[in-house]
Amino acid sequence: MPRLLSFSVFVATWWIASLLVGDAKLPPPPTVLAAMSAEARSGALFLNLGITLARVALAFVLAMSLGSAIGYLMGRVRLANRLGDPWLILLLNLPALVVIVLAYIWAGLTEAAAIAAIAVNKLPTAVVTLREGTRALDAALDEMATVFAMPRWKAFRHVILPQLAPYVAAAARSGLSLVWKIVLVAELLGRPNGVGFEIGVAFQLFDIPLLLAYSLSFAAVVLIIETLLVQPFEARLSRWRPRAA
Amino acid sequence: MRLEVNIASKEYKNAAGERHDVLAGINFALGVGEVGVFVGPSGCGKSTMLRIFAGLDHDYQGRVSRPTGARIGMVFQEPRLLPWRSVEDNVRLVAPQADEAKLSELFAILELNAHRNHFPGELSLGLARRVALARAFAVEPDFLILDEPLASLDEALAARLREQIAMLVDHRPVMTLLVTHNVDDAVRLGDRVFLLSPRPARILADLPIPTPRGARGEAEIATIKADIARRINGDRSQRDAS
Repeated sequence: MPRLLSFSVFVATWWIASLLVGDAKLPPPPTVLAAMSAEARSGALFLNLGITLARVALAFVLAMSLGSAIGYLMGRVRLANRLGDPWLILLLNLPALVVIVLAYIWAGLTEAAAIAAIAVNKLPTAVVTLREGTRALDAALDEMATVFAMPRWKAFRHVILPQLAPYVAAAARSGLSLVWKIVLVAELLGRPNGVGFEIGVAFQLFDIPLLLAYSLSFAAVVLIIETLLVQPFEARLSRWRPRAA
Repeated sequence: MRLEVNIASKEYKNAAGERHDVLAGINFALGVGEVGVFVGPSGCGKSTMLRIFAGLDHDYQGRVSRPTGARIGMVFQEPRLLPWRSVEDNVRLVAPQADEAKLSELFAILELNAHRNHFPGELSLGLARRVALARAFAVEPDFLILDEPLASLDEALAARLREQIAMLVDHRPVMTLLVTHNVDDAVRLGDRVFLLSPRPARILADLPIPTPRGARGEAEIATIKADIARRINGDRSQRDAS
């Protein structure tokens, strides 16, 4: 219910603002809705959203798995941390645009280049978060697992992973929002389809209803995924914790 | 099967880089069915010693020969349960071979049946200790290590838990080492009592108690306790005199 309320406040504010600044700059909700349904009827909306989602999913999975593995290694092995740290700092501070442009130059305007560039942008934050998580592992529980001769995989699954879970969730949460942002830039610069590409086209044609139609559909998809996938996952991971906040 | 311990010395380097001797001369052997109890002042290095026996610390001078393939059950000073697993899962995870009948019996002895599905965060310290004990016994250990399992429990609960430990230890052939600073616990549970000096710890005396645990009368226990107290204080006055 509060969600519905905050949604209606959003629509009302938008409508009033469009009345104030004029249709040309900010079209009112019905105009955008019309553009949205036109795109939906032609199938372009779903196609572009689907393509963008696929890129997000691939880049996200790639960056999370690679980033978690590297982060765990850097948290456990001092030498790995020493070797990896300069690279990590470099990647953390490298602007997304630089990575995307270089990827397109070196690997061509290909799907692989786009996904790799998005993944590289997200990778360092996953590494940093998981490294912190690994450093915070409870040595006392490790000792317990050693004394009781728990097999390595079992100890990893039941002793290590639950301790890392909040960090994985945090990395996933912040990483997903980063990927949502960067995927559009990558599409704008070098892909012939996807939400980013359509927004680029709309920008060039100054077609503001189309621009808003894609932006809002995209935002809606993000919201749905956050509510239906990310939040239940987080809740499940922390169900053993006494309810605090 | 026998545990043989010859630790000449153990050094510990603190965060400031200073070296401290923690252990100096821990030599003894323990056979199956024996309960050896270490009694010593707090901070004398008891927990360090247990970590060496458990194979968690290899950085010492000397030798500890544990029978090969001996299963270890350990109760740490803090319960060290996995907070994200239920009581039952905590036990089952380390003891996959334990069948339902076995676990039921164990949970019944330790009065844990009502708490099987609770998470450790929902338990009092006394209950958590009992879960840690259940876990240690569930692996059917050949070598049982108990680090102050009764500390900071109220007297009635400690007495009950002590009886439960005695019952479990007598249940199966196991070498048991227990650390405590409570002389009463030591005398009621141990077959042998090792008195430790202050840091760096060495064994001051190895006192066997020939009467079986169950048959010890209050008078006998009082006599042994007095003897131990005399030895501990005697050692102290000797040191003070010198």
